[in-house]
Amino acid sequence: MSEVDMAVIKPEMMKSYVWLQTTDGSIQQVEQEVAMFCPFICHEVLQKGMGSSKSYAICLPQRVNPAMLSLVLDYCRFHQVPGRSNKERKSFDEKFIRMDTKRLCELTSAADSLQLKPLVDLTSRALARIIEGKTPEEIREIFHLPDDLTEEEKLEPLKNTTDDPRIRLLNRLYAKKRKELREREKLKIVEAEEERVDDRSVDELLSFINGGNGDSKVLKTSKNKKKRRRRKDQQKNASHSEVAETDERESNGLHPMCHDTELDDEFRPSSSGASKLQDGEDDIFAPKVEFDDVDDEIDPALKEKIDREVEDFARRLNSVWPERMQELLSFGQERRPVHFAVNGNGTLRRCGSAEQK
Amino acid sequence: MLRMATSFPEEVLEHVFSFIQSDKDRNAISVVCKSWYEVERWCRRRIFVGNCYAVSPATVVKRFPDVRSVELKGKPHFADFSLVPDGWGGYVYPWIAAMETTYPWLEEIRLKRMVVSDEALELIAKSFKNFKVLVLSSCEGFSTAGLNAIAANCRNLRELDLRESDVEDTSGHWLSHFPDTFTSLVSLNISCLLSEVSFSALERLVGRCPNLRTLRLNRAVPLDRLADLLRRAPQLVELGTGAYSAELRPDVFSNLSGALTGCSELKSLSGFWDVVPSYLPVLYPICSRITSLNLSYATMQNPDLSKLVSQCQSLQRLWVLDCIEDSGLESLGEVCKDLQELRVFPSDLGAEPNVSLTERGLVAVSHRCPNLQSVLYFCRQMTNAALVTIARNRPNMTRFRLCIIEPRTPDYVTLQPLDVGFGAIVEHCKELRRLSLSGLLTDRVFEYIGTHAKKLEMLSVAFAGDSDLGLHHVMSGCESLRKLEIRDCPFGDKALLANATKLETMRSLWMSSCSVSFGACKLLGQKMPRLNVEVIDEREPPESKPESFHVEKLYIYRTVAGTRFDMPGFVWTMDEDAALRKS
Repeated sequence: MSEVDMAVIKPEMMKSYVWLQTTDGSIQQVEQEVAMFCPFICHEVLQKGMGSSKSYAICLPQRVNPAMLSLVLDYCRFHQVPGRSNKERKSFDEKFIRMDTKRLCELTSAADSLQLKPLVDLTSRALARIIEGKTPEEIREIFHLPDDLTEEEKLEPLKNTTDDPRIRLLNRLYAKKRKELREREKLKIVEAEEERVDDRSVDELLSFINGGNGDSKVLKTSKNKKKRRRRKDQQKNASHSEVAETDERESNGLHPMCHDTELDDEFRPSSSGASKLQDGEDDIFAPKVEFDDVDDEIDPALKEKIDREVEDFARRLNSVWPERMQELLSFGQERRPVHFAVNGNGTLRRCGSAEQK
Repeated sequence: MLRMATSFPEEVLEHVFSFIQSDKDRNAISVVCKSWYEVERWCRRRIFVGNCYAVSPATVVKRFPDVRSVELKGKPHFADFSLVPDGWGGYVYPWIAAMETTYPWLEEIRLKRMVVSDEALELIAKSFKNFKVLVLSSCEGFSTAGLNAIAANCRNLRELDLRESDVEDTSGHWLSHFPDTFTSLVSLNISCLLSEVSFSALERLVGRCPNLRTLRLNRAVPLDRLADLLRRAPQLVELGTGAYSAELRPDVFSNLSGALTGCSELKSLSGFWDVVPSYLPVLYPICSRITSLNLSYATMQNPDLSKLVSQCQSLQRLWVLDCIEDSGLESLGEVCKDLQELRVFPSDLGAEPNVSLTERGLVAVSHRCPNLQSVLYFCRQMTNAALVTIARNRPNMTRFRLCIIEPRTPDYVTLQPLDVGFGAIVEHCKELRRLSLSGLLTDRVFEYIGTHAKKLEMLSVAFAGDSDLGLHHVMSGCESLRKLEIRDCPFGDKALLANATKLETMRSLWMSSCSVSFGACKLLGQKMPRLNVEVIDEREPPESKPESFHVEKLYIYRTVAGTRFDMPGFVWTMDEDAALRKS
């Protein structure tokens, strides 16, 4: 039989095909009405006369691999049929885009390069729905994206972390105080309710920041007795931490006590405190505090500086009360100059004569 | 993997972003990574700045080069209660000036609690050729001269909404400045204007704007002219009447009645100053369609009031005076099953109750309206039992503001503090985002709030608590807290300093007539460079006092813009230079 005879007997057998080639070299033939649904392919066929045979296969864009081509063609095969209702199309679309995010991205990309706008819209909307309601970290994880923005570029301040190690240390101290306060609450200390802020402003601030290691003479109520008791306990353990500490920084009377408080709180739950300390204080600080004070390693020299500044800001609190200051400093440290150089963003500066009352 | 990023062209990413419009999501995607940051900033069309001092206009226009819609908020919320002195700040002019050259295609400006000068309005009118939407909510500083400029120059204006702004009325003729060719108006809200507007200009304007959906008139528009306006705008969806009073005349009545029935799309009503109850029946035929009803200026009593309300079966939002009384609220509960938001305002702030509105009314509504999620309720008495019942009835509550008029009022039955009641609210209503407390309250209520109110974003506190522990509970426990405003509470330095880092995760903290010392403010300002710590004291400079001196008002907000330079004499910012400046 001739071809023409065949056409008369079985017209449906005489479909036209378009030949397509993906970047991996493989070539396939696709029903013409399906392939032509893609504007890119349509353009290649009509404007350039390509795709009519294997040797003139249309070279598809690089972003269309065989797997994606298959998906795109499935889409086209369904939608190019004219009789379908909107409801049918919508239902197909909903099932069609159910795939993992990676494939969805690839498909969006492929559809875009083939200029198939309805599919681009469908996949883009699906991606948008995945992104909505997520945090930046979650989005990064889903799409495997790097966290390469600097602090300045992010206009939104981050929750509870800053890149200034000084502030971070202060934050840790504050977090400690919060924890202490919570524990005190749990013990239902009655004195807490009797507190009047007017009576104790700076004293209390001091003991807050220094963990109750402030002046013993001034603190009068039973609440502070409890603090003093705790301090005694800490002093027992002090030798523990001081052994480890002396290497790390020059100590003065005030701040190792201050620092010890922090460490001792952490030491209690774990037995091998000293060795842990050697590895880096950050281990101790980071996971225990429930707020996300995520710490990087802090260089010991910088730590030293920070500790000095912590002590100094506690001192500045007292600048109006010289007697108290005397008591504080009675642990035998030398009087340090008020001025000091600070690098970074100048959170602590030279102080004027106001300090020297 | 890099492969994912590079194979995804920017236009495609931008296309994906075009389907993400909420500010929260846009903010999230903009800090995912460098490439997303870049793509996002070029295609961001709408920005919302909740505190105009949190970022400088220059930074914003530099980062987002092609913005079409800007929303800014200025003064803290307590400015509504006259706690923020005049001249504090919140000037919009620097923003307009920055956007003048960088956003020539700006279409929308929405401002809340900001100072808007006539110069700013003139600059807007001059700079943005495609300007469409101007919403000035609770703003001040401008006059009708500024409105002249807007009317005359904004050829494509769609919305002019002056809700609750303080406008200096120098002339009612600004409406006539809309040219005869101007037909694009969709929404006009002049309800806050005190003096008359030219009625003929208004009529002509309404008549030539076929897309007008919202028209909120001011009190000066008389009721007998309302029908004329309505006949020119039968497509109206939202109507705010002027004064709802006229002589009792049958022709006025039937005219108005006919005009209203012609407005088949009408869904929202407001206005109703000086209500004459005889004219209420003209509304009855359209009541069943009404979804939003604002009767907060309507000084009418039951039975007229509750009769009107109980015909609005589709009501979703009701703002009403306490004249509705418990009985009116009970019938509201019977009829309005779709009610989502209820605000009951006081008709009289005197010591003695003039109406029979108690906790029972609120309990009834909470029991009967399954969709009720937003409540603002002024009353004179409350019990823990009532609050517990409300909490159990409505675990879907998202906004709950209770204002017992007399401070420190206990449960009137048990004479106990209302800690347990509010505790039940935060415990049962897990989606609660906004809460205002009142009545007698100890530190205990704050413990409950800190423990349970994990989604709470805004908390208002007055005359409550015993000690710093109260503040500490809130600041350490409420993870989602963004705005905290406190007045007349015994909260001091400890809790504030111990929770200093929390402040960077919030938009702002307001504390007035509390016990925060000047020394603590200074310390906070020095230690936290990303916070502006403003001490507001109209009495005398805080620096002239000892450090233990309690500041009158304290406003702390996070910012990347540093100290602002437009502060009046009674506002001091504590920063690292504070120590220097003192000497």
